[in-house]
Amino acid sequence: MTATQHTQAFSLALLTAALFAQDAKPPAALAPGELTLVTWHPKRPTKESDYQVARWGPRGLPSQGYVFRARKILPITQPPIDDGAIITHDGVIQAIGKSKDLAVPAGYEVIECGDTWIVPGFVDLHCHIASPSFDLNDTVHPTNPEFRTLDLISMEHDQIRMARAGGITSVLYLPGSGSNMGGFGTLTKTWGHSPDDALIRFPGSLKIAQAGNPERGTGDLGATVMGMNEGLRMTLLDGKRYYDQYERFLAGQGQKPKFDPTLELLRGLFRHEFPVSVHTQIYQVVLETLRELRLELGLWTVVVHGEFDAYRLSGNMQEAGLPIAAGPRTYHFDRATSKILGLHQVWYTGGPYYPWRSPVQGVGRDGIGINTDSPVVPEEQLTVQAAIAVRLGLPHEVALRGLTINPARFAGIDHRTGSLEVGKDADLVVWSGDPIDPRSTVQKTVVNGNLCYRRDEKRPAW
Amino acid sequence: MKLSVLAALVTTLLITAELTAQRRGRGGQGGQGGPPGAPPTPSVTESQPATGKPKSHTAIVGGDVYLGTGQRMTGATVLVGDDKIIAVGHNLQLPEGTNIIDAKGKTISPGFVCVVGNGMGQGRGAPWIDSVNPFDPEIKQALAAGITSFLAGSPGSGPLPTGDTAVIKLDWGSVKGMVLSEGTVLGMSAQLNANDRERFQDLVKKVMSYRKALEEFPAKKAADANYKAPELPTGGESIMKILNGEAKLWVQLSSGGFNPFGGKRFGMSNDLAAIRDANAIATMLGVGVVMQKPMSAWLCADEIAATGSMVMISPRDRIPPDPSDPDRSGSNLATTAILATAGVPVAVTCPNGGYGGGAGVTTGGIMGQDLNTPHIDAAFTVRGGLDNRKALRTITIDAARVIGVDRRIGSLAPGKDADILILDGDPLHYRTFVQAAMVNGKVVYEKDKEPFYSHIQR
Repeated sequence: MTATQHTQAFSLALLTAALFAQDAKPPAALAPGELTLVTWHPKRPTKESDYQVARWGPRGLPSQGYVFRARKILPITQPPIDDGAIITHDGVIQAIGKSKDLAVPAGYEVIECGDTWIVPGFVDLHCHIASPSFDLNDTVHPTNPEFRTLDLISMEHDQIRMARAGGITSVLYLPGSGSNMGGFGTLTKTWGHSPDDALIRFPGSLKIAQAGNPERGTGDLGATVMGMNEGLRMTLLDGKRYYDQYERFLAGQGQKPKFDPTLELLRGLFRHEFPVSVHTQIYQVVLETLRELRLELGLWTVVVHGEFDAYRLSGNMQEAGLPIAAGPRTYHFDRATSKILGLHQVWYTGGPYYPWRSPVQGVGRDGIGINTDSPVVPEEQLTVQAAIAVRLGLPHEVALRGLTINPARFAGIDHRTGSLEVGKDADLVVWSGDPIDPRSTVQKTVVNGNLCYRRDEKRPAW
Repeated sequence: MKLSVLAALVTTLLITAELTAQRRGRGGQGGQGGPPGAPPTPSVTESQPATGKPKSHTAIVGGDVYLGTGQRMTGATVLVGDDKIIAVGHNLQLPEGTNIIDAKGKTISPGFVCVVGNGMGQGRGAPWIDSVNPFDPEIKQALAAGITSFLAGSPGSGPLPTGDTAVIKLDWGSVKGMVLSEGTVLGMSAQLNANDRERFQDLVKKVMSYRKALEEFPAKKAADANYKAPELPTGGESIMKILNGEAKLWVQLSSGGFNPFGGKRFGMSNDLAAIRDANAIATMLGVGVVMQKPMSAWLCADEIAATGSMVMISPRDRIPPDPSDPDRSGSNLATTAILATAGVPVAVTCPNGGYGGGAGVTTGGIMGQDLNTPHIDAAFTVRGGLDNRKALRTITIDAARVIGVDRRIGSLAPGKDADILILDGDPLHYRTFVQAAMVNGKVVYEKDKEPFYSHIQR
């Protein structure tokens, strides 16, 4: 079976499931973490050096050796460590464990953090911060794959500084949703000597807005969902043709296509070097995302809104390996029952479809992320989004995953960041207590092994 | 029996004494309004000491009671007679037939007071009682958030105090119970230009002479039957209300502001000059004012305390500092803690970031940025360094003071309105839910019986 045939068969099966299977017997209650979602990106290169289009930022830049000791360390992917220590040097984590088991290497500075929690730096997959002005929407065409945010980043922008003060160390800086295709976003750390030092990967993703903002009010060029999808499909198919021709050339079967900077970036999308971040919400539009982008075009897809009743597709999303970085709304008001449903919680475990239909299955522990869409919710308030999610029923440990390892996996940067493990980037944050409690404060932020924020009690930034 | 009553009385007196001490200690001369030396005129209907016996009694027993003043009583009882609190304390003697609500393991708090709000059945303007909707579904949603009262309408802006405001209580199902007061908040702008300042100062002086003449009038009239009654200067009504302590003056500060997109080009600058102008207005009046979102207040907390002024603010709103411009010092997360330490009462409101539904409860906004979670707004004062229990004041007693109704609501004290929350944890913990809300002595919200959050188990 070819990849296309496979995709089509899979597509048909999924859609059948989506449209007809809800009346089957309700799924058994899920034990937390029982279901896993594996993000679908089968062509993704296994090593950074195998990437042809996307460019990775540097790793292992020189940094002072530190030993951080704290009452509690949450590595996220491992059980919590009481009275733990983390040793960092030259941008990466060298060791993690019980304080008493880890000797201090010569020349390393010991930083006693006392009664605090050390957690990985948080990852926000939906933000529009970093540029000195609000440069994120340009609508030269209905689709604008020629745009990129890479050149806009300023490491000392107010909101990036606030991100550090809020415990966020990695962000995906996306173009806006003013046009159907806003351009290419950039994955960057929130601190570096220069934007080049801070770069994680460019493109971080391609931004697509399917509906719910890019509609042209004047009525031309895509005022409706049908028209907008047509524009998106045409642009993506251009990229697909270029990609196919390039693949044939690489296989020694034809001419190298004429270089086109825009189509070249789209080639990376079809090589699964980076995902497409989709501004999509409500059931109908997320169904389009699933059908058009993930199943028909076979793109590595990540949903970055997923609000309102879209969670009713959670079972299908889990099956298709399509994760959701949900937000900035954190709840859905279900008009049929007048219940305030926690958006992240219903994605996680599934939720009611209608009161008279069987509930849907969730995406599980590994399929849900939390975002800000800053400045809609200011970047430093990422943990507030998590606080509301937990308040509305998301388990605390899942919320912490939704701030760390999950978004790192969705974006394909989990080999670098998202948890505290030996060999990963030294991105860690010292919190005065539970990081999700709005009363807790960030004491220190470390990005790539560099102490880049210390709380000033007289004038705390956040 | 007699001993128990005595115990209750002693507790009551102790609480009252504590409250009085707090008032003296915080907020200075202007805390209660009125010119120095003159007894303040009550701004709202004074709760009458019970002349007859209440028709019914309810006791909330065994909870950890946060009084709203910063103090807490563990395992105490709140006794309610009809719509007022009769006593708060331990070992209270409960009248026969008292309806008991068991609150062991629960937390009791005064209903939250929001100093800015909209929707929630508020009505359209004076006379507010003609248009309030006691069956607005938003009332139940706001009660679920712990809100029992809020300031509706808008304090005016301009060179003279104006505005159409009302303190609305979320007394579900009762038109009469919904309007606590009208016009207890008036507003004006600062900085004033030279002309406006002169005009305002003149008017204040005229109204002050009028008040003096009014005081002397009975004696003079007695001496001279033809002595003419003094006349209120034209346009002086609102200043008269402020001087009499019947209304709080809210000052809107120009050039403060908050823009989520940042950058100088949106005209953000320091509001220190406007804060000092508001202080000058307070000095002219001899009455503390309320400053609306003074972003630079942390730089001059003592000056604000000295005029007896108060502050309403969202700790989450911010202005970035500009290192290249010493006049742009920016906001500070620690502002509320700095002000509270200086003795300035602070009321906290939700952020005004231009998204998220603003100061209301909606079903389509961004929770955490609106009024669905006032306790989280107060939690940010703790993040800025304020003590956890004192932080509750920012949405209870100090919020009530800022809107001029602290005689009626904002704390659990004898004689006050029975607006009480039963919570399932620390009032400022993000996971805490309102289990039940009482307004004017009636239980108007129960989590288990309303759809909003009944499915969420903590």
